[in-house]
Amino acid sequence: MSGADWLSYSLQDFVMFGPQVFLRLFVRINQDLWPWQLLAVVAAFGIPALFLSQGERARRLAVGLMALAWATSGYGFLVGYFGPINWPATWFGWAFVAQGALLAVAALSGRVPGSRLPVGKFAVLWLLAVSGLPWLAMADSGQWEAVALFGIAPGTTAAAGALVVALIPGPWRWFYLPLLVLWSLFCAAISWVLQTWWLLVTPIATLLLAGAGLWLSPRPARSPD
Amino acid sequence: MANRITRRKFLISSGLAGIALKSPVLFASTPGASSSSPIMRRIPGTDESIPAIGMGTWITFNVGGDTQLVQQRTRVLKTFFDLGGTVVDGSPMYGSAADVMGEALNSLNAHDRIFAATKIWTGDESETRQEAARSSRRWGVERLDLLQVHNLLGWQGHLETLKEMKANGEVRYIGITTSHGRRHREFAQIMEREPLDFVQLTYNVLDREVEDRLLPLARERGIGVIVNRPFQGGSLFRRFQSEPLPDWAGDVGVSNWAEFFLKYIISHPAVTCAIPATSKVEHMKENMGALYGRLPDAAQRKQMADYVRSL
Repeated sequence: MSGADWLSYSLQDFVMFGPQVFLRLFVRINQDLWPWQLLAVVAAFGIPALFLSQGERARRLAVGLMALAWATSGYGFLVGYFGPINWPATWFGWAFVAQGALLAVAALSGRVPGSRLPVGKFAVLWLLAVSGLPWLAMADSGQWEAVALFGIAPGTTAAAGALVVALIPGPWRWFYLPLLVLWSLFCAAISWVLQTWWLLVTPIATLLLAGAGLWLSPRPARSPD
Repeated sequence: MANRITRRKFLISSGLAGIALKSPVLFASTPGASSSSPIMRRIPGTDESIPAIGMGTWITFNVGGDTQLVQQRTRVLKTFFDLGGTVVDGSPMYGSAADVMGEALNSLNAHDRIFAATKIWTGDESETRQEAARSSRRWGVERLDLLQVHNLLGWQGHLETLKEMKANGEVRYIGITTSHGRRHREFAQIMEREPLDFVQLTYNVLDREVEDRLLPLARERGIGVIVNRPFQGGSLFRRFQSEPLPDWAGDVGVSNWAEFFLKYIISHPAVTCAIPATSKVEHMKENMGALYGRLPDAAQRKQMADYVRSL
């Protein structure tokens, strides 16, 4: 196809499903997983507690749980539920799994947010993400079963995860951020086409939280000279 | 005075309308055609006729593994068949729609009621047969009735293979598609020199570019025409549903906007079939209402187009 042909396509032409089908993905995965998503809720509130404990082992465990959340939401929601109606979602699903693997490497090798992390601010932002964003899918669908939990729904997972990966010390954090940007653009495009306006908040929150993570990230100590 | 029968009001009276459709006496019709029998169109160059209203599956049947929605779409398909439809159009591009159609056909045991039309959608021109076989498996039909090259993607290679497949009896009809008015010049060139059974293109009361060249060419070349996007992706309803139908709507066999839009299309002498898509049983009933009753003549078609433009 020529460039002019491509220009004749609209965003709508690439979204092959309707809002009802999309929002029911959240309902379906929650119904299928029940009651195991309660573990995800425990993890969502346990991660800031682990960071607050200040020990390196606890912080490694927190990043390990984060890694698991990326992988489960990617493989479970994106590959298993979203992929059959939207093939790019499958690619994102495997990218989430890869992101989880990278975070697991970070946890195992000790490249985790350090003890100088301002845990109070981190915890507030984290809790806002994992307790506020899940309700957006419900607001769009009108069904409480559509709650988009951290570790299950990729949007909430990526938004909260953005805060953590931006806090990974050193240049490693830049390995994690491209997926966040691409994912946010993908989510925003879908929400725009489907007119699921509440869910449009999630990709915006993802980018804001990534920015907040970079802002909270402790600066390297200055050399005495 | 304007006739204020809206899409919503039509739903309320759809039960009565269904009964009425069973009674030829209640429906005066164009001479020589009974209102109780569906409007059929002959496939050019054959003795076979197909109903002038079919159905598309873009977006509407892409519901993945959602059992509840698969069952609901099965009811939509059942309504389509019950009201006389046969032509169903899909594409490998439409996500899980082919699998959902296969499940619905299995549930209804309706493989012998369908005119299965799908597309070849791959840039790899050596993949034609494999993709057709995959579609056939997904739909659960032994042989697809119509294979079309989707949006001219890799059309040279695919069309050569499709011609061979037709000659071997692997598919009954072959064609090409376009939508949204894309690549009409190249489309016409292919129509002029290739032995096509069908073309599929976008045509509706607002998108009428094909009236100038492609539709006359199809008649001249004896090519059947399947019309996609008859409601302009639903935007015709969004724009006009709140408007009243004209008070002469009954004269052109129209009692709601769905019939208005569809009868405008299928009354064009070059058009074989229009393929509206819907995910709702009620809307399917409205769409299939256009398969019955009288059709507008040329002067009335102009009146219909003028009326929409005036709103």
